[in-house]
Amino acid sequence: MEGKVRIGFYALTSCYGCQLQLAMMDELLQLLPKAEIVCWFMVERDSYEDEPVDIAFIEGSVSTEEEVELVKKIRENAKIVVAVGSCAVHGGVQSWEKDKSLEELWKTVYGDGKVKFEPKMAEPVENYIKVDYRIYGCPPEKKDFLYALGTFLVGSWPEDIDYPVCVECRLKGHPCVLIEKGEPCLGPITRAGCDARCPGFGVACIGCRGAIGYDVAWFDSLARTFKEKGISKEEILQRMKIFNAHNPKLEEMVEKIFQEVEE
Amino acid sequence: MKNLYLPITVDHIARVEGKGGVEIVVGDDGVKEVRLNIIEGPRFFEAITLGKKLDEALAVYPRICSFCSAAHKLTAVEAAEKAIGFTPREEIQALREVLYIGDMIESHALHLYLLVLPDYLGYSNPLKMVNEYKKEIGIALDLKNLGSWMMDELGARAIHQENVVLGGFGKLPDKATLETMKKRLSEALPKAEYTFELFSKLEQYEEVEGPIIHVAVKPRGDVYGIYGDYIKVSDGFEFPVEDYKKHIVEKVVEHSFAKHSFYKGEKPFMVGALPRLVNNAETLYGRARELYESHKDLLRPTNPFANNLAQALELVYFIERGIDLIDEALAKWPIAPKDRVEVKDGFGVSTTEAPRGIVTYALEVKDGRVAYADIITPTAYNFAMMEVHVRMMAEKHYNDDPERLKYLTEMVVRAYDPCISCSVHVARL
Repeated sequence: MEGKVRIGFYALTSCYGCQLQLAMMDELLQLLPKAEIVCWFMVERDSYEDEPVDIAFIEGSVSTEEEVELVKKIRENAKIVVAVGSCAVHGGVQSWEKDKSLEELWKTVYGDGKVKFEPKMAEPVENYIKVDYRIYGCPPEKKDFLYALGTFLVGSWPEDIDYPVCVECRLKGHPCVLIEKGEPCLGPITRAGCDARCPGFGVACIGCRGAIGYDVAWFDSLARTFKEKGISKEEILQRMKIFNAHNPKLEEMVEKIFQEVEE
Repeated sequence: MKNLYLPITVDHIARVEGKGGVEIVVGDDGVKEVRLNIIEGPRFFEAITLGKKLDEALAVYPRICSFCSAAHKLTAVEAAEKAIGFTPREEIQALREVLYIGDMIESHALHLYLLVLPDYLGYSNPLKMVNEYKKEIGIALDLKNLGSWMMDELGARAIHQENVVLGGFGKLPDKATLETMKKRLSEALPKAEYTFELFSKLEQYEEVEGPIIHVAVKPRGDVYGIYGDYIKVSDGFEFPVEDYKKHIVEKVVEHSFAKHSFYKGEKPFMVGALPRLVNNAETLYGRARELYESHKDLLRPTNPFANNLAQALELVYFIERGIDLIDEALAKWPIAPKDRVEVKDGFGVSTTEAPRGIVTYALEVKDGRVAYADIITPTAYNFAMMEVHVRMMAEKHYNDDPERLKYLTEMVVRAYDPCISCSVHVARL
């Protein structure tokens, strides 16, 4: 890209963790001579949502009618649209109860209270506009940002990761929380890139980077292990839904894992 | 009827966490209405975790807010442990507080240097300060990095810490890492003192002076800190954290996805670093105590801008406190990271001091699942009071240039260090 690259960071409904992760990167200072921040409300008071940008980073899920309009506007103004983090890519944890109606959720929390905005059930950005690249994670790792930004800046295109957390966990040599402790670790079916951070602390993966495409997950051995440990299909499905409620392949994938066992 | 002029609005307040705006309606005889519009969408955290497995719900709650994810995690875990009848060992409790202090240091440093300071120095964005304020940006990054690193070591990462589990931690850092943590904390102390010095020189706008009801946790063991079993109000009233609903009511307001909270039915109140100091200064010790005594006139209970300086004072305090807590844990070394917990049925309430004020979790557990959840975040507690102070500022400046008015009202909001995302998961009625 020539001249200063124009960057926008836009927030939909989220915990702001993806922006915080980027804002906390000391490396950002090195980027400054090469980039111009056109819109980033969290750090820049002079932010403009309507201006054209080279790269638009969007975090958060689409959760109000106003946000539907906003993502359309961002798409029109941007050369590259990057969905950042679990909310923008997958709808986020706020989609966990996707199968309940908005009315029911609203009533549980607000009772009969009304507000003047139009709420929606949380959805991934991709449900409304074309997304060019995804940065996974809740929150994404710093190196995810560095890789994507660095690659765009040299005029190239970052690749997607197509192997599961299990691969990184084995390479790190961590004890397996699934095999050794029988915990419902989602490492085998979750997209890698975190260096198996949680299993490294002896904590079962909750799948915050989202499910990997089901054609590359380790179905046979994994299914057998889940079953041996007494972990049910329903349990895995429910756990997967924390970060994957909108994944159209989800049920098919979990079904496939457990089918292998029966065959 | 008097003429009403076009509302003066800030659609999207910059340099806060989350999406909110200010709307001021002015008529011929002054300010008619002041509204903090919270435009971020609802996230239904209490509703979506109902019926879910306790450990999974505990992984989700911190996602309410990234700036204080450790605060959410630790408060939710304490409420859950109270519900199932488990009390963590003292050394585990000490190390959890060290993790919490990591959040406090990171959050205060980010708020003071990156969100607040640019206004005072005339920058729209902290990154633009790099050349002229090298020292300040350097300190901001050092303190921020220290807090993040403490959370990495004790929480598995700085945002959404999965390493805190029922019964303790997944894994603990080794002794050498804790020794290094102590050393890094000691080295950070002069930087925190510099921060206090810097912020003690900044303007506190007299336009917003007035009585404030301060609400904070009464610290456990009478040592200034994060955990407690009672809520203390500046009017002298105290109540157990379990009784929060008897004394604080939440109301849905039309212009916001976040509810507003009131003490004794209708009184707005403030939570945060300033209320902690106002209510609990006598429990401070060390260098922070000395700074408090010598700067009392600046740490005015009547001015929300004093919250910035109170945060700077807390940077000094929590660095020293962190060192002491690590010593407490090291005295019992080696420490088992976790105890076996049995997930029994029950109900528990925890209120702790998040960086920007008290946060409350009430959880009921049945058959290993969440049967009831009520969460009130600091910003939800603060909104009503914030609106009062924005109005006071607007009333003094509505005739000024609209840009000036916007700038001043945004600064009032920023002094509260609001976590708007956090407030918008909203609690049950």
